[in-house]
Amino acid sequence: MKRYFLLIALLVLAMVATACGGAAPKKDDGGAATGGGEKTVVIGYTASVTGKYEVSSSGQTNGLKLWMEQVNKDGLKLSDGTVVKFAAKTYDDESAAERVQLLYTTLIEEDKADFLISPYSSGLTDAAAVIAEQGGKLMITTGAASDATYKKGLSSVFQLYTPASRYLTGAVDMLGAVDPGAKKIAIVYENAKFATSVVQAAKEYAEGKGYEVVLFEGYDGETTDFAPFINKITAAGPDAIMGGGHFNDGSTFARQLFEKGVSPKMLALLVAPPELGFAELGDAAVGVVGPSQWEPRAKYSEAAAKEAGLEWYGPTVKGFADAYQAKYGEEPSYHAAGGYAAGVVLQYAIETADSTDPDAVKAALEKMDSLIFFGHIKFDTSAEAHGLQKAHDMVYVQWQKGADGSLTKQVVWPVEGQSAAPLYPMK
Amino acid sequence: MKSWKYPALWLTVGVVLAGGLIPVITGSKIMRESMFLILMAVTMASSLNILLGYAGYVSFGHIVFFGLGGYVGFYLIAEQGWNLIPAALAGGLASGVLALLLGIALLRLRGAYFALATIGINEAMRTFINNFNLFGGPIGMELNFIVYQDYGGAANMQWLTYWLMFGVTIIAVLMSYGVKFSRFGLGLMSIREDEDAAMAMGIHTPKVKTMAYILSAILPGIIGVIFFFRNSSVQPAGAFRLHRSIEMIVMVMLGGQGTVQGPLVGAALYEALRSYLLTSPLFKDLQLAIAGVLLLLIILFVPSGVIGWLRHRFKGLWRVLE
Repeated sequence: MKRYFLLIALLVLAMVATACGGAAPKKDDGGAATGGGEKTVVIGYTASVTGKYEVSSSGQTNGLKLWMEQVNKDGLKLSDGTVVKFAAKTYDDESAAERVQLLYTTLIEEDKADFLISPYSSGLTDAAAVIAEQGGKLMITTGAASDATYKKGLSSVFQLYTPASRYLTGAVDMLGAVDPGAKKIAIVYENAKFATSVVQAAKEYAEGKGYEVVLFEGYDGETTDFAPFINKITAAGPDAIMGGGHFNDGSTFARQLFEKGVSPKMLALLVAPPELGFAELGDAAVGVVGPSQWEPRAKYSEAAAKEAGLEWYGPTVKGFADAYQAKYGEEPSYHAAGGYAAGVVLQYAIETADSTDPDAVKAALEKMDSLIFFGHIKFDTSAEAHGLQKAHDMVYVQWQKGADGSLTKQVVWPVEGQSAAPLYPMK
Repeated sequence: MKSWKYPALWLTVGVVLAGGLIPVITGSKIMRESMFLILMAVTMASSLNILLGYAGYVSFGHIVFFGLGGYVGFYLIAEQGWNLIPAALAGGLASGVLALLLGIALLRLRGAYFALATIGINEAMRTFINNFNLFGGPIGMELNFIVYQDYGGAANMQWLTYWLMFGVTIIAVLMSYGVKFSRFGLGLMSIREDEDAAMAMGIHTPKVKTMAYILSAILPGIIGVIFFFRNSSVQPAGAFRLHRSIEMIVMVMLGGQGTVQGPLVGAALYEALRSYLLTSPLFKDLQLAIAGVLLLLIILFVPSGVIGWLRHRFKGLWRVLE
């Protein structure tokens, strides 16, 4: 029997050791609270260091790190003399929901995070939001566009991105502005959560504006041959094509449309066009429009805020873009801008509340109605959709040929943010 | 019920009980979340072991039962207002029914043909759900946070679902043990060794295999409901992740296929290894590749897994390790 007990003890120890190790700590840097008028606020988040969201998530993390580095130079000064500095605690969520709740529990319980930033993607954010809500922690979400997350009755989650339901509605508005005679829209989209949410809302919006949606067809994300869809589009003869899903399928779709000589007056695709890699399509990229949460050429400024009767807060668009370029050697993507903006919004709330008390910070977020380098930020405070982003709008980019023949990404919508007039018809 | 005399049963149940009670005793939420994942892995691996370990049929698409059960239960909770427990049972039942239907058709195939067909089933089900509007199509379904109020709030819900997972894991281990030492289990093992000989001996192999398939599907269906309920949302891409199926096979092979304790040890070791690989700067991007190499090494050099190797190496442990 002694042998059996020894075995049981060993197996139990193995399970305990596994459970203890399961938290998978991958801490960024420490940062204990310090006395003497300086306070360290811990910000917890998971990043997709591995898995399918790695690229987008790393941009988001880089943006957040840059903000933290800048704000920690002098710290935030509160009226009572306290200097607030920030420290990050972060883990790899593997781009999968399985471990997100464990990791956010660790951030709250073990790392004593004061505030949380969301993982990248709505699916992971849904899982994290359950933990944030029950732990009473404020979470600013970035990279999580789904409307549904914020319509679940949550009270401590605040969305930075324009919700998915408004991703393509601006493209419909743009079509109406540049060509009032346009009547037909074909929508061809990736049959996945994000793209479907976007196009369903866009379809409803377009039909409400009097457009006829002549084709509404989903494709699998792995599709590489769009010929059947292109044949249907040709038969339907739309003025504009909208849809897409992610980078690979969107790029392939645009290239095959070009190769088959299909040239609608307007082509607006999700996700792919704002990426710099889209320019590798060459002539096939010319005229393609894409919604973006933010662009370095966006015209958000103190003057624009004044004109709109809004409060301006934080660094300028150029200030952020230059600092990011200097630190990482590349132009910031909108994911990077989203990560940085999450920090700026938190900074705004702490400064406005003049406190790091979560209730005071939450109240400041609920009252926020300001223009920052990322755009207009205002959160829904109703019980039905608390935390949903109400004010931020997408900007729409279009690849255009410059005088020297090189491809340039221009902001073409909304009018107040334009860096160039839309190229219409696109070819 | 001769099996109750075997110390291996008490050892196995004792380990699960002791491990599962640690978060309860310590009150640690982190430990609870870690143990939740381990218990989930143990249940999945033990369920798969009934088919893979006892009957010798490799199912690469076993995650389909987790996904389908999860979807059915989640739909009943989110859209029909069911309580979690009956919804979880309904999820298990739906998975069992799917296994019955698939079993009748698929278990006529053997070896690699069956394994390939199971991959196809998972992909077909994912595509079906992706186009099934009742379950939200590609958008999936979301659960309003207010639902958790019926369970004492979100914090209580996390504990409740932990207890449920704990209970399901104990059932999985008991079922695994019960099957192994039953006449039915002997039938499965005879199929594993030589299916034609088993038929010649009078075993109704299609019926026995289908029963095993159903048994191996029910508990993954139940825990699918618990998992997605906890996460408050379900989408096709997350519900039918093929690589989770491969991880389940690795767990069974690592611990020892055809043994009761193998899936327990395999799941715990794999979770520990996974945590290490994820945090290792050298290996973090190679997690699945290393799992693949590990599987290859196990098949080549330790085909009986950890428990099998221990049984072979230490004859005195035969009564304890099953």
